[in-house]
Amino acid sequence: MISNFIPGLIMIITSFLLPTIPQYFRHPAMLLSVGLSALSLFNGYGTFLEWDILGLNLILYQSDSLTLPFAIIFHIAAILVIIFSWHRKNLMEHMATLAYAGSAIGALHAGDFFSLFIWWEATALTSVFIVFAGNTKAAKDAAMRYLIIQVSSGVLLLIGACLMLYQTGNHNLAVLDLKTNFGIFIFIAFGIKAAFPLLNGWLQDSYPESSVTGTVALSAFTTKLAIYALARTFPGTDSLIWIGAIMTAFPVFFAVIENDLRRVLSFSLNNQLGFMVVGIGIGTELSLNGTVAHAFVHIIYKALLFMSMGAVLYRAGTTKASELGGLYKYMPFTTIFCIIGAMSISAFPLFSGFVAKSLIMSSLGGMGMVLIYFILFFASAGVLEHSGIKIPYFAFFAHERKNKVKEAPINMLIAMGIAAFLCIAIGVFPKYLYQILPYTVDYQPYTLDHVISQLQLLVFAIIAFLFLVKFKLYPSEIRSTVLNSDWFYRKMLPGIGKPLFNKIGLLIDSLYKNLGLSFKQVLSKSYKFSNLSYIKVTTPSFAGTILISILFIMLVIVLV
Amino acid sequence: MKNNDLKSMGKSFTKYILIIGALLILLDFTFHRHEYFSFAEIYGFPAFFGFVSFVFIVMLGKWLRKFLMRKEDYYDQ
Repeated sequence: MISNFIPGLIMIITSFLLPTIPQYFRHPAMLLSVGLSALSLFNGYGTFLEWDILGLNLILYQSDSLTLPFAIIFHIAAILVIIFSWHRKNLMEHMATLAYAGSAIGALHAGDFFSLFIWWEATALTSVFIVFAGNTKAAKDAAMRYLIIQVSSGVLLLIGACLMLYQTGNHNLAVLDLKTNFGIFIFIAFGIKAAFPLLNGWLQDSYPESSVTGTVALSAFTTKLAIYALARTFPGTDSLIWIGAIMTAFPVFFAVIENDLRRVLSFSLNNQLGFMVVGIGIGTELSLNGTVAHAFVHIIYKALLFMSMGAVLYRAGTTKASELGGLYKYMPFTTIFCIIGAMSISAFPLFSGFVAKSLIMSSLGGMGMVLIYFILFFASAGVLEHSGIKIPYFAFFAHERKNKVKEAPINMLIAMGIAAFLCIAIGVFPKYLYQILPYTVDYQPYTLDHVISQLQLLVFAIIAFLFLVKFKLYPSEIRSTVLNSDWFYRKMLPGIGKPLFNKIGLLIDSLYKNLGLSFKQVLSKSYKFSNLSYIKVTTPSFAGTILISILFIMLVIVLV
Repeated sequence: MKNNDLKSMGKSFTKYILIIGALLILLDFTFHRHEYFSFAEIYGFPAFFGFVSFVFIVMLGKWLRKFLMRKEDYYDQ
C-alpha cells in the first residue's frame, strides 16, 4: 500500500489541498505530509512501482544506496523550511514550497529518464512560484528568466532521453559517457541545474530575489538534485574534475565584491557545488561518498546561513552589507547560529563541513592529483573568506548599529537551532553520516595531520583578514551590481538583438511600402478595382516582421 | 563605553587568534605532519598557503571590480 506510493507525491497532493485547510492548520498539515512521505525511507532498496504507458516502461519508484542519503536530507530540508516559514501567511509560497520539495523527492526515486524528466520539470514549475512570491518587480522579472532557463534544461533532458531511446532502445537511468550525442544533451541539462561555469547565471540572479523564506527552500533542492543526477549517470567523467575545480575557484572572486549578502551566499553555493562535482569526476567509491556526504551536510549549513540572512532581512529590512553591521547586540541567537553555519561551511574540525570535505580531499590526494588538490585547498580559503568571515562580519559586527531591531521570531530560531545542532552533531559524530553513504568505506577524518593542516590554513587565513582590515586594504562594501554570466542574456543579447530586429523591421517595412505602391499602381490602371477601398496592403507591425523573417528563414532552410 | 564594545572585542579576538596561530606553527615542530604531497610537509606550509591565498583572493577580487562592477540599477536602465 504505502510502500509503493511514490515518496514526495503525498506532499504534492497536500500542497494542492492547502487552500482548503484553515490557516492555523496549514503548517502542521505540511509537516504531517513530509512525515508520511518520510515513511518511505524505511522501505529498503528495490523497484516498487512501474507503469507501462505508450509502450514505455516507466520506473516511477525505485530506491538504492545512492537515493537514500539524498532522500533523507531532502526530507530534513523540507522540515526545516516549513518550521522556518511558520510565521508567514503566503499561501502561494507554501503551496509552491511543499510541491517543490515533493517533486525533488519524487525525482530522486525515478528509475528512467522520462520519469526523471517529468519530475525535473515539476521542480522547475513549482520553484518558479517561490521566486515569484518574492513579490517585487525584480523578483517577478527574475522568476521569468529562471523559468526559461529551468525549462530549457528540461527540454534538453527530454531531447537526450528521446535520442537515447531511439538509438539504444533503452531509457533507464544508467551510466552514460560524453561520446554519445544523447549523453551530451543530458550532461548539459544536468549542468544547467548544477550551475556549471557560464551556465550559473540563473542561480545568483533568482535566489537572492526570493522572499525571506523562499530562498531557504530554493537553496536545498534544485542544485542538489542535479548533483544526484550527475552522480548517477556520469561518475568518473574526467571533464567533471576540471569543471568542478573551476566552479570552486571562480565564484570566490565574485563573492568578495558582491554587496548583497544573500547573493554572496549564492556564489558560495556555486563554489560548494564545485567540490561535489569534482568528487563525481574522480568517480572512486571514496570520492562519490565524499560528494554525497558533502551534499548532505551542505544542504544543512547552507540552509542555516540562508536562514540567518533571512532573519536579518526580516528584521533589518535588507541584506546589503553596506547597510548592515552591529546586529550581534540585537540578534544574539541569530549571530551564534550564523557563526556555527559559517564554521561548518569553512570546514573547521568538529563541524560538519570538515568530515565531508575531507573525503573528497583525501580521494584527490590518494590519486596524486596535485593541481586540483591545491585548487580546492585554495578554494577552501575562499570559502572561509566569503561565507566564513564576510557573512557574519558584515551582518553582525563591522561597526556599531544605530537603530534597534528585534531578535528573529521563535520559529526561525527553532529552525536555525535544529540546523546548527545537526552541523555540530555530524561534525562530532561523523560515523552516523558515514553509515548512510552509498559505499562502505572505513575512513577516519580526525587524524592529527589533517586537523593541524586544516586549522593552519583557516587560522592564518583569518589572520590575513585581520591584517587586511588593520591596514585598510580590505575592499569596502559598495552598493553595486556585479556582472555575472546572466549578463549575456540580460544585456548582450538584447543589445545585439533589438537594433538588429529594428533594422530588419525597417527593411521589411520599406519593402512592403514599395510593394503596396506598385500594387496600387497596377490596380489603379483597372477602373474596376481603383475605387474598392478594401484592398489595402498594410505594413506589418514589429511582431509581424519577426514572424515573416522566421517564415523566410524556414523557407530558406527548407530550400537548402 | 558602549561604542568601544566592538573595538575591544576585535582586539581580544585578534589576540587569541594570533596565539592560536603561533601554537599551530609550534605544533608543527613537535611531530612530522604527513601530507599527500611531500612539499606540503614543510613547516607551516598550510599556514603560509592560507595566508597568501586569502590575500590573493581579496586583492584579485578588488582588482576585478574595475571590470565587473556596475551601478546598482544597471539592469533596470
